[in-house]
Amino acid sequence: MSSISPECNDLKKTYDDCFNKWYATKFLQGDTTPACEEIFTLYRACIWRAIKEKNLDTLIADARKEKPFDTPDAGQ
Amino acid sequence: MVQFLTLGAQIQHSWPNVTQAVWQKYPNPFASHVLSSDVVDRTVDPVTGVMTTTRLFLKKGVMPKWGRSLFKVRDAFIMEQSTVDPRTCTMVTVTRNLSHKKIMLVEETQTYTSLVPQSALDASRSDAVPITQLRTDVRIISNTGWAPIKSRIEGFGLTKFQANTLRSSKGLLHVLENMSKQTQGGTS
Repeated sequence: MSSISPECNDLKKTYDDCFNKWYATKFLQGDTTPACEEIFTLYRACIWRAIKEKNLDTLIADARKEKPFDTPDAGQ
Repeated sequence: MVQFLTLGAQIQHSWPNVTQAVWQKYPNPFASHVLSSDVVDRTVDPVTGVMTTTRLFLKKGVMPKWGRSLFKVRDAFIMEQSTVDPRTCTMVTVTRNLSHKKIMLVEETQTYTSLVPQSALDASRSDAVPITQLRTDVRIISNTGWAPIKSRIEGFGLTKFQANTLRSSKGLLHVLENMSKQTQGGTS
């Protein structure tokens, strides 16, 4: 699956591979110590550059501020 | 006016596998409308162990033909915020559109929980089939001022959503089946 920005594709692939392995072998087994931090920092920086170029940063910030719709049966 | 919809489904796969498939869902043959997928933020709470993720998707073709002529809408950015709690085996994803919110805002909350069959609680039984319960809650709201168009958009949203939910489940199952093939030695 492509990234929003072609220049982030390689970083995204490396990060996704790292994350999927960590998620299956560590996180789900109870070891929630974060991993893949270095590659994520690079990938995230690349993505946020693209987000700002497309003026999506304010849309994302607004969506986060808006109170999410009430979750039915909270806690379920 | 706001439209609500709640759907329940049971997935015949274990909760850990289902949540892995959620991360690896795209691409799949039932999601050709998804053009991009990115993780824009992700943290793990050191105390609770809960992982919070924000993903951004670009999807194409959100409006029917009659709507396109009115609103000039093409692709839409979608944001997904999620939490995964491995201790309680609960994953919640909340998805909403960032683009075209005035025309129609669709917020979908999906809750994945582990449904342990009674037979599995008995330690002597190891043949229990793992099941994941998926609950989907949708809220659709149109802020377009003109009432006839507004109700038509909301109606369209609901119909379209029901069709999309079916397609989305097929996509998830496809990914799950591919994952189990790989786990079984990748002979295929």
